[in-house]
Amino acid sequence: MSLRERTAESVASARTGWTKARILAITLAFLLVAPFVLPEFQVFVLIEVFVFVLFATSFNLLYGYTGLLSFGHALFYAGGAYGLAIFLRDIGPLLPAALGGVSPLVVFGFAGVAGVIAITLVAIPVGYLSVQLEEIYFAMITLAFGMGLYTVVLQNPGGLTNGSEGILVLLGSADVLGLTVQLGSRTTYYYFVLAVFLLSMYALWRIVVSPFGAVCKSIRENPERAEAIGINVTRHQWLTFILSAMFTAIAGILMAPHHNIVSPEMAYWETSAVAVVSAVLGGPSVFLGPAFGAIAFRYLRWIITRVPALEAHWELAFGILLIVVILFLNKGVSGGVYSFAGWLRRVELAYNSDGLEGVRNYIRESVQGKLSAMVSTTTRYLKGTRIEGN
Amino acid sequence: MADGRRVCNASVVYLLETIPIREIFIGLSIGSRLFLIALGLSLIFGVLGVLNFAHGALYMIGAFIGMSFTTELVGNFWIGLLAAGLTVGLIGVVIESGFIRRIYDRPKLDQLILTFAFIFVINELVLLTWGTGTKTTPTPQLLDFDVALLGASFTAYRVFLILLSGTVMITLWLVLQRTFVGRVVRATSTDRDMSALLGVNVPRVYTGVFFVGSALTGIGGALAAPIQGITPGIGNQVIIQAFIIVVIGGLGSFVGAFAGAMIIGLINSFGVLVIAGGDVFLPFLVMLLVLIFRPTGLFGGGS
Repeated sequence: MSLRERTAESVASARTGWTKARILAITLAFLLVAPFVLPEFQVFVLIEVFVFVLFATSFNLLYGYTGLLSFGHALFYAGGAYGLAIFLRDIGPLLPAALGGVSPLVVFGFAGVAGVIAITLVAIPVGYLSVQLEEIYFAMITLAFGMGLYTVVLQNPGGLTNGSEGILVLLGSADVLGLTVQLGSRTTYYYFVLAVFLLSMYALWRIVVSPFGAVCKSIRENPERAEAIGINVTRHQWLTFILSAMFTAIAGILMAPHHNIVSPEMAYWETSAVAVVSAVLGGPSVFLGPAFGAIAFRYLRWIITRVPALEAHWELAFGILLIVVILFLNKGVSGGVYSFAGWLRRVELAYNSDGLEGVRNYIRESVQGKLSAMVSTTTRYLKGTRIEGN
Repeated sequence: MADGRRVCNASVVYLLETIPIREIFIGLSIGSRLFLIALGLSLIFGVLGVLNFAHGALYMIGAFIGMSFTTELVGNFWIGLLAAGLTVGLIGVVIESGFIRRIYDRPKLDQLILTFAFIFVINELVLLTWGTGTKTTPTPQLLDFDVALLGASFTAYRVFLILLSGTVMITLWLVLQRTFVGRVVRATSTDRDMSALLGVNVPRVYTGVFFVGSALTGIGGALAAPIQGITPGIGNQVIIQAFIIVVIGGLGSFVGAFAGAMIIGLINSFGVLVIAGGDVFLPFLVMLLVLIFRPTGLFGGGS
């Protein structure tokens, strides 16, 4: 079916029932009006959520779809951001003002592209070396690469990176079609990020559902078999690595002007951990899994900042959360979301057949069943049996 | 004849003055300290197949415990050393039997992420117990003297470190190769299911190995206390170094861990002389070279 036919079908189904298409449309509509509806801080948070979702989803291209766990993805995230910042700082002023009032916008565009190109160039050799190694070594070497960038940036080679102080990234205003657009204003930047975010996520989605993505999945499931049917596993992993790096760089580039600064912490392994945690938390086997995980992560973080007692020790809460998720929730938050959606649908069925009474019965049954399942899992855990993946 | 000896002496003296003995020695002592950590990591990976990401965090616990025992609690470095080893070993046992054991049959990446999650938990618990400041530990009185060797003087403590690492290496090798326990461990690391069928209590072997691996790294931490300031961030630093060492030396190989540790120790010592900041990124460079030319590590391929 062509794209047009599929879109028409999605629109038709969205009109009728609670399908994914309808939910997606509603979310999109909300996102479009968000800056006028939400308080300014929430818009700030929302922009960060976009960046983290992109970061986590591009990470998951490598992890959930190809089975390669990279602990150093901050390399590309920070690398893209630093590329942008250095370009803006050093080359930006050199570009002729002959471009008129639009020049800040164009410079920013150039800088962004430069950042992505720089990262792609870095990802080519790094990826080539990394994919030669099997899973554990791969995790280790990507971690080492990520931390390598951190130490190099901290050392401030040739005065390029400004060491631990970082580089300021400020966006000016540009004249677009006679209107002065404040590029740095929250609202303008929000729409810019939203646009880039939607395009990137769509691109990632197309990659994942394409034959390329299918090959990735086959490599994840059984590399030997993939090799046996003629796939050059190492080369495919390498290409996936480069693609993942590119989109991660875009995420970093989007974040830099948002925080107005790029600093070495962006390359620290804790930043890489954000992507890993988001993907694992959200469920790596689903495209939107890391998205859910990133959303959960960011808002959990926000909730914790409101509770001073927890905030001081949020790493602890985080570690425990991750442990619980790894041990018990194999499919992550997204699995939970989808099961909840399924449950809602069954509630609707109960309503349709038995009315309010049916709904009440069904809710009572299902909640009881869930509670007893949780109790039995916990007792089995305490008794020491192995936990199977669910 | 006497002339020959005089020439010989003269050339030895000349050599000793040009070769940076001091730097080599310090490098070896740094390497000895790192060796214990890399050894623990390699041991756990070689036998259980689990890469313990929390190994650096365990090192940090060992360092803090050693420091506490020496400065605050008992005032005796050696007791602190023992306490560090035991405590960290026990923590390792808890991690292994309480958590990792439950997901043995899951893909290795899940186990990796689990140990990774422990880093957060341990980091935070250390902060809670000891606060955020830098702590220092004095050198133990027994070893607080200088040794004159080959024309330079060194703190005896560093000599002790080097001797200790050599002893540990030899002891471990002997245990694994010559004793019954060693044979059981080697069998389990080769084929877990077969060993279980032959009557080996595999979970207990695993727990024991994890204990030894964790204890080693805890002792490494306590040993480091007198020579470096201890902050809550050293766990993160050390794990990177440990990873680089095992990549260079080869995961699962003890000789590799030894060689890798010494190489990194020497780089740490000499690196600053070669280029500013060299001690920080030269290890990465060496790791890169090893990966290009010998991906399984210098001694890779199992112990």
